[in-house]
Amino acid sequence: MLQKIAPQTLRIIALLAVLVLITLFFTTQIEGFLSGRLFNRISSSVAIMALVATGQTLVILTRNIDLSVGSVVGFVAFAAGSMITNHPDLSPAVLLAYSAALGAGFGLINGLLVAYARVPSIIVTLATMALFRSTLVEFSDGKSITTDNLPAWLTDFPNMVVFALGQMEFRAGFCASVLVVIVAHLAMTKLRAARQLYAVGSNPEAADLAGIDAARVVLVAFVLSGVMAGLAGFMFLARFGNITVVAGMGFELKSVASAVVGGVNIFGGSGSVIGAFLGAILVDLLETGLVRWAVVSEFWREAVLGTLILAAVATDTIISRRLTKARAERAQKEALASRVAK
Amino acid sequence: MTQPTLALRSVSKSFGMTAALDDMTLELFPGEVHAIVGENGAGKSTMIKIMTGVHQPTSGRIEIDGAPVVMSGTKAARLRGVAAIYQEPMVFPDLDVTENIFISATDGLVLHRAAMRRDALALIARIGMTLDVDRVASGLSLAEQQAVEIARALSQDVRVLIMDEPTASLSAHEAAELRRIARTLADGGVAVVYISHRLEEVFQIADRVSVIRDGKHISTRAIADTNPQLLIADMVGREVGNYFTKMPSTAQDDVLLRVQGLGVAGVFDDVSFDLRRGEVLAMAGLIGARRTDVALTLFGILRATSGQVSYKGRPLTLRSPADAIAAGIAYVSEDRRKLGLAMALPIRWNISLATLKRYLSRLGLIDVGAETDMALSFRKRLNIRTPDVEMTVGMLSGGNQQKVMLAKWLNMQPDLLIVDEPTRGIDVGSKAEVHDLIRAFAAAGGAVLVVSSDLPEVLAMGDRILVMREGQQMAILDSGEASQERIMALATGQRGAA
Repeated sequence: MLQKIAPQTLRIIALLAVLVLITLFFTTQIEGFLSGRLFNRISSSVAIMALVATGQTLVILTRNIDLSVGSVVGFVAFAAGSMITNHPDLSPAVLLAYSAALGAGFGLINGLLVAYARVPSIIVTLATMALFRSTLVEFSDGKSITTDNLPAWLTDFPNMVVFALGQMEFRAGFCASVLVVIVAHLAMTKLRAARQLYAVGSNPEAADLAGIDAARVVLVAFVLSGVMAGLAGFMFLARFGNITVVAGMGFELKSVASAVVGGVNIFGGSGSVIGAFLGAILVDLLETGLVRWAVVSEFWREAVLGTLILAAVATDTIISRRLTKARAERAQKEALASRVAK
Repeated sequence: MTQPTLALRSVSKSFGMTAALDDMTLELFPGEVHAIVGENGAGKSTMIKIMTGVHQPTSGRIEIDGAPVVMSGTKAARLRGVAAIYQEPMVFPDLDVTENIFISATDGLVLHRAAMRRDALALIARIGMTLDVDRVASGLSLAEQQAVEIARALSQDVRVLIMDEPTASLSAHEAAELRRIARTLADGGVAVVYISHRLEEVFQIADRVSVIRDGKHISTRAIADTNPQLLIADMVGREVGNYFTKMPSTAQDDVLLRVQGLGVAGVFDDVSFDLRRGEVLAMAGLIGARRTDVALTLFGILRATSGQVSYKGRPLTLRSPADAIAAGIAYVSEDRRKLGLAMALPIRWNISLATLKRYLSRLGLIDVGAETDMALSFRKRLNIRTPDVEMTVGMLSGGNQQKVMLAKWLNMQPDLLIVDEPTRGIDVGSKAEVHDLIRAFAAAGGAVLVVSSDLPEVLAMGDRILVMREGQQMAILDSGEASQERIMALATGQRGAA
């Protein structure tokens, strides 16, 4: 029976169950934990991380990793902020396109180095993480973007309530982000080209023999990750308004955490955008809960998060190893059985 | 006959100085199953790679439907209808059967799952299989994965399907099923190239059979016009001058290793032999004979599931390579690059790698002086041609790399030395040197198990020769009664012919 349900679906059901359990746990521990405010707090924060995690998922699916996303978010937030400060009449669509294009440019640099110069992605993006951040420092000249200089449409956008269920407000920023996640998820499951992403991560050698241009696929994954980080930078600017050179720091690890907790295999080939989205919610929920839970000190908060990520990856590895072993044993039994039959 | 679907015309391919294919001509007609047989290293895989666009011929040309073509890669070959499936199927473990079949398709932006699923079912039905097209490929058996690959080839209108040792890892029933599929495809007009080490299989399925040897085309005959003896003669027939001198035995009376009924479930079973000090036992067989698995079991990498091993008169149970090393058993791998040497490290480091404990000073630091002395003594003893033991191993020729690898294990001063394909890919001069080294080790009282696919080598080195075939021990021949033809007959399963 369990074999009939696709592993991905099973994983998403499991994630939802874990989300419910953790919420219930904190509700018993913290007075007034479960409230509309909790939803609003988490949804605002996830609105940004979900975009970064979506991009990260595409890259991880191809057996790579993008550690530069945090710097891209920071850079784009700053660059878009300075652009709108200098040109207050710019239309929202142009500013959004500007953010996405900047992100795509950074992604292109990563992608070219990984796919065509054949430098391992962890090295490339570790380097570009520092490079993009330094460029930001240089570009900003140490100054900050302040909310006062931003047009109202931009700063109001994330908090605009689209609709509300009781105390739970579905704000525009969150809704936009969820829309992007849904579109990305549909694209990943329905588009022919998206299937190549899975193929390259699943078995690069076979992908090559099947006539798939693996280098191009990897390049595209990095560019898309850059675009997502660029959009996240736009959202970051809109939400916080005040942008300094440390904007988006730590996003790279949090996006990787979201993806792997959400069931994206760190060795490529399997995982889903929806999974990464749920992973981002889970990570944020834990963080929020731990902050308010008096029992755990600030020091241990990071440790609990780290443990969760380790557990997620270890479970993944153990499960896939078990599956491989079970399959080998079954094949062996069948071979023996047919030998005996002969 | 009609025009060949695909033809190789005087195709040669060399890698550096070595010619892998030499003036190869071959015609493949629609509707035929064309078997290709040859020893290990005869050039079969190079030929497949040329036909599938992985390699480009150094000279000569490829024709499809009589017109010369250049196939710049696997994709180009696929577009022209040439596809290959291998012993180890190339599937995407994370995708399901339907997705696997249509992964190379390019039409349409959006996937139409329902249509794809229907087509996948039709393709699977066309090759007469039953398979759940929604199952994820990682759960499929090897035979099912191969079926997926064949269906993928069919989805691309395959005209030439190359099957490289497709049945080597399959059970008897699955193999029969696969042969049936191959025949069905041929009857539908596909030219099927069938590469196999199993001669009886060749006679069951093929319409014509070609023998290749040392990169050259030796013969092509209709199956009715040939017999196993004729094929074997074609496969082993060698030019004079390629032989090594037979070495006199140095065997003593003292049995070092006694193996009785050794087996690993599903891999090999019932292997029995004695190995005396001073003796060299050669293991012969074709790819898939499971000789390396026997070696790995004696080195503790694979766990035996049946049989006993006694060593130095006592029962021996190995749980890991560390146990084997502690017992004085050394294993020199066939794969220098992957399992043998650290190519980027100096020769000295490589030789002391397994025995570094001996070169530690009292403080626990490496005594570089002693380590260097040891490396220099091995350079002299094994005639490793290098100006300096500090050079990285990757800079050496294949023969000298092989000697470094031997040095590493000889330095352990083992009682039992297992060497797997000790001279693969090295020049004839170095081969003879490696043979001398191994014999010298035996003469000094060690026992040697040599796994080799090189028949002249087997005959030159082995005091006795154990022939394996598909996980079964076929015979142990004394060197006096062994010949290339006899070994090949046993290795291909022609028991009566021997």
